[in-house]
Amino acid sequence: MRVRSKDKSQLAVSVKTKDKSQYAVSVAAYLFIGGFALICLVPFWLMYIGSFTAESQIVQGFRLFPTEFSLDSYRFLFQGSQVYTSGFVSIAITVAGTVAAVLITAMFAYVTAHPKVKYRYILSFYIYFTMLFPPGLVGYYLLISNWLHLRDSLLALLLPLLFSAFNAFLMTSYFRTLPFELNEAATVDGAHELYIFFRIIWPLSMPVIATIALFYALSYWNDWFNALMFIDDPQRHPLQMMLRRIVSNSQNLDYLNSNINIPVAATGVQLSTVVITIGPIVFLYPFLQRYFIKGMTIGAVKG
Amino acid sequence: MSILKELGKNKWLYAMTLPVVVYVFIFSYVPMSAHLLAFKRFIPVKGLWGSEWVGLDNLKFFFAGPDWLGVTLNTIYLNLLFIVAGTASSLCIALLLNEIRHSLFKKVSQSLVILPHFISIVVVNLIVINFFNGQDGTINLMLKEFGLPTVSWFQTPDVWPWLLTIIFVWKGAGWGSIIYLATLTGFSEEYYESARIDGAKRWQQIWHITLPLLRPTIIMLTLLALGRIFYGDFGLIYGIIGDNSLLFDSTDVIDTYTYRSLRSTNMNSYSNAAAVALFQSVMGLIAILFFNWTVRRVDNDSKLF
Repeated sequence: MRVRSKDKSQLAVSVKTKDKSQYAVSVAAYLFIGGFALICLVPFWLMYIGSFTAESQIVQGFRLFPTEFSLDSYRFLFQGSQVYTSGFVSIAITVAGTVAAVLITAMFAYVTAHPKVKYRYILSFYIYFTMLFPPGLVGYYLLISNWLHLRDSLLALLLPLLFSAFNAFLMTSYFRTLPFELNEAATVDGAHELYIFFRIIWPLSMPVIATIALFYALSYWNDWFNALMFIDDPQRHPLQMMLRRIVSNSQNLDYLNSNINIPVAATGVQLSTVVITIGPIVFLYPFLQRYFIKGMTIGAVKG
Repeated sequence: MSILKELGKNKWLYAMTLPVVVYVFIFSYVPMSAHLLAFKRFIPVKGLWGSEWVGLDNLKFFFAGPDWLGVTLNTIYLNLLFIVAGTASSLCIALLLNEIRHSLFKKVSQSLVILPHFISIVVVNLIVINFFNGQDGTINLMLKEFGLPTVSWFQTPDVWPWLLTIIFVWKGAGWGSIIYLATLTGFSEEYYESARIDGAKRWQQIWHITLPLLRPTIIMLTLLALGRIFYGDFGLIYGIIGDNSLLFDSTDVIDTYTYRSLRSTNMNSYSNAAAVALFQSVMGLIAILFFNWTVRRVDNDSKLF
């Protein structure tokens, strides 16, 4: 039987007791969970199918199966230069931001979990206070645009998401579960603090690092608010901002710089853009799922 | 001197925190100074410190105006809807996922219910527009097919608290269930064993064993959420409602209100927005401290600090 050890006891029990109530609850569970899973899937499926459907058909409503297959909206999108510009911005910001964010968060969290550091609680509180009393939108806006002069700079997309207190606390909880003896043994052997962190602790922390990396990557990839507030230049619009532009102003497809002539492919182009923006997430998702469920859980039950 | 000694002893460890310490100082502590604008008449060329003090004028203006009560109540009301519906549906998903034995079905369905959490609000907004727009949105087309009257969704403020709640649940319930599921798979099998010997039915076991054992987790997560009751879900609400003033009556929250006053061309917009933001931060602080204090009283192990 291909059952993981965790489920074994429960399985044995359900086999043992031929209880009718078990059966009823199971049926309810399959129906409810299956139903909800479908509700979660269907909008994406409709958009995916819609993106391959001729515009004349989409405007008559979404269909579960394509009625008239067409690649026009993708042709229109990829003819234009905006999708390449925005795609590059999104990828560059996500990669650079995630690497930097994971690195500084992990170093900080490791120290706040380190029993030898006397002021670790002060450091934690320094971060925690920003959750208690967030700076507020006005200060945030003034900081980026008036004080740091980051308007229309890619740094306005990169810097605001570089650190999240929530992620730091999740990591701290994980580091606390690691045996401190590891650290002591390495110190006795004369290892440098940086060596201990990067060569001993880091490899042991892959689940939580993968989880946090996923969280940061998603917050960068999905960010549109910073672009909306601070970026006017289309050359620096990430994909989400490009999508927002063509959703809120669907007649204005000049924005995409496509010179292909298709009769108003407004909806189709929106849908194909959606497929492009969520494609990487759906693709990477199965690989990362086991990590983030583990990583989330460690933080949640306070190891 | 002992401070310097400690810093010297662990200098590499403290150095590792430096990027975050500096970053948080610049990006969280420096902008807090903008709360002072609530007591000033902000003139951009004069800057934050050069602008003149006006005492409580901005706050008086905000509280004397017609908006503050409405947006505050909307914020609280929407958050309560989100918390209740979100918690209930996350719990349901966790409890029922736990009943599913078919491991492939379980894995695939869990992936699917979590998926919407990873999707940007811009995409959610596009789905919502296509479903509810005008007369030819998918929902209205379906209503027509069944011979039912259509609804002009984007002109009907009353339905939006419910629609936003449904969207919130759709987007977040699966994600929220992870913590509950992880907690309840850790419960000892012995409880269930003895309940079965006493002839308890499966749903009775869920009701009388699993739920009571989950109580501390539910309480803690709910109280933490209540601590953020003065902070509206800006991404969700602004992302979907945007600047559609027809729907403000039921959907305008403190955060969207602040954002709009910040963007308005009104001369005093920054100071006005700062007054609202200060009100929100202070109320938020009180709420968090109050509910954290409550967490501590209910369950000392669950406290944050």
